[in-house]
Amino acid sequence: MKRGKFWVLSAVLLSLIVVLGGCGDKDVAEPTPPRPAPMPDEPEPEPAADRPTIDLSASPSSIERGSQVTLRWTSGAADSVVISNGIGNVQLNGSLVVTPRESTTYTATAKGPGGEATSSARVTIVEPEPVETDSDETLLQEAIREGRIRHVFFAYDKAQLTAEAKARLEANAIILREYSDANFIIEGHCDERGSEEYNLALGERRAQAARDYLVSLGVDAGRISTISYGEERPFAQGHDEEAWAQNRRAHFATARR
Amino acid sequence: MNRLLVTAWLLLWPCLLWAQQPQEGAGSGQDQQGQVEINPDVTTQARVAVADFVARTSANRATEEAAETFNRVLWDDLEFSARFEMPSKSFYPLRPIRNASDVSFEDWQVPTLDVDYLAFGNIQVDVNGTVLEAFLYDVGTREQIIGQRYRLTRTEQIRRSAHAFADQVVFNLTAGASRGVAQTQIAFTSEKGGSKEIYVVDYDGFNERTITANDGLNKFPDWSNENRYLAFVTNLPGSARWELWVQDLEGASGRQVIQVPTTYVSSPSFSPDGSRLALSARAVDKSDPDVFIADIERALSGQGGGSRLRNLTNHPSIDTAPTWSPTGRQLAFISDRSGTPQIWMMDADGSNLRRLTQDGGHCDSPDWSPDGRRIAFSWQAPRQWKHDIFIIDVATGVTNQVTSGRGSAENPHWSPDGRHLVFQSTRTGSKQIFIVNVDGENLKQITAYGINENPAWSGYRSLER
Repeated sequence: MKRGKFWVLSAVLLSLIVVLGGCGDKDVAEPTPPRPAPMPDEPEPEPAADRPTIDLSASPSSIERGSQVTLRWTSGAADSVVISNGIGNVQLNGSLVVTPRESTTYTATAKGPGGEATSSARVTIVEPEPVETDSDETLLQEAIREGRIRHVFFAYDKAQLTAEAKARLEANAIILREYSDANFIIEGHCDERGSEEYNLALGERRAQAARDYLVSLGVDAGRISTISYGEERPFAQGHDEEAWAQNRRAHFATARR
Repeated sequence: MNRLLVTAWLLLWPCLLWAQQPQEGAGSGQDQQGQVEINPDVTTQARVAVADFVARTSANRATEEAAETFNRVLWDDLEFSARFEMPSKSFYPLRPIRNASDVSFEDWQVPTLDVDYLAFGNIQVDVNGTVLEAFLYDVGTREQIIGQRYRLTRTEQIRRSAHAFADQVVFNLTAGASRGVAQTQIAFTSEKGGSKEIYVVDYDGFNERTITANDGLNKFPDWSNENRYLAFVTNLPGSARWELWVQDLEGASGRQVIQVPTTYVSSPSFSPDGSRLALSARAVDKSDPDVFIADIERALSGQGGGSRLRNLTNHPSIDTAPTWSPTGRQLAFISDRSGTPQIWMMDADGSNLRRLTQDGGHCDSPDWSPDGRRIAFSWQAPRQWKHDIFIIDVATGVTNQVTSGRGSAENPHWSPDGRHLVFQSTRTGSKQIFIVNVDGENLKQITAYGINENPAWSGYRSLER
């Protein structure tokens, strides 16, 4: 009774396979029928083949556009392995370097006597992080700090630009024009030997002299502000010519320091 | 604190009104007639004795301390006034004087004393407050010149009552021709931390208080005519510009009554009537500072309106540090148009320009004397780097040196009676404020802590906050 039912089921399944095979749908995966127990009084059925296996991976799985990805696969019980997306037939086990342009799902299909197996790996394209670019103001700050922008020095009680002062301003103008988005401040300073009220006025003239020359060299006047500190903010604290010379200057600064 | 000072002022005010009555209009009279004696003639000075004020009824510790303070302040005030000869207290009779009945006048006429006038009085501090009686007698006629009772609610007012009595003595003994400066104050710039703030201190260096606390650079304060306002320039932290501020000492606030055209403004100076400010600023289209004036009356009275700046110099040189003549008709200022900074003068409309100093070197910070005859300034001789204070006679050009010796002296400013100057000096190492008689005598240090500069002496009447 039990055995009779089994044979009916087997016959239905086998006829279904034949019908489907006749239709040409050869790639349809089919659950492997359980092997019939050998019967001593029946002819021995053909032994069923092992079902193929396939395992595909992509490393790294997310890349910036233009970067490379290594696909690796291993198969078992397969006669052939095909990878999608135009790669086609490949070795049964192996690796391949690809450069996908868009996010892509690669699918490897292994075929063998025991049927087919597939495995997929997705590669995601991420947009590159925007690169942090320094503002002109930061670049100018750096140029001042590193001494590429040079402060301008004056003779005692003078606001006229010396030949050296002009040369420095000309070199400064090249950098200042390059960082054209950066506003900056020219501070006028004096040494302690003058008197306070006159020095505040003299520092203003020094800052203006430096400003006017830069403007004549093509630096946008709207970027430049000036302030005189007179003898209020000495750079060198000494009471000798070395300190005084340091303190008679048009000093470059950005608003952020 | 403010209320107490106002109370003290109200208490002292009646005696001042009384003292001032014959003085109405004397300020302008001095300008024209030059009545202030700049060099007191020593031979005609009155001899004045100031007996120690003593406890009126019973001596307690508070009364003794009050009397000690009063006696010291009164003596210092009268001595500083340099109007009297004051024989040493070691010659005084030993008998304490509470009131006139304790005085034996002949004891004050012995040859070692031979005083013309005698001040004395008494103090009592108790739970009801402080009562102070102060007298001045003519020793020759034995007549009372001053008899005044002060009621004080706080012993802190002792110094003020001593200053008020000292000014009364000066006023009476100059026959009303002059007022004393014992109740005046000095504004200045002080650097105690990283910033430079405006301070005000009594003329004797006591009672220092802050006016600004903005952590910036605050420079060149100047008093308005009735000491109600202080003008100064400010560079606030993180700002790349100078601004002109006017602080109302009766209110709490500072204001920018004038928007200057550029980032430079310096050296504000109130006109004698307080309606205008002279200052140094830079026009937008120019590269050098000029002297400007602006009407500020409407802005100060809160009526708003533009304080239009008028350029008086308009010259391609440094023009700064303006000071008004006491009539308000002229200005003196610093210009380097001749090569080095010198004092120039002009009428208040910019006309009549002429150079005052002729000796080269560097002049700065002129301040016109209250009598209109002289201008004090700092001068640095050619090829030197030390500055000293000088006074030039406007009419004759004759120049006198006031300070000398160690260190540099800058930024002189006249006392309202024209007998003293306040200035800053590095003679003790750091910049400090000093006062001195115009003849260079009687040098007195006012500040000691921090770096102190840009002093400006108030006018006579000091409004209390």
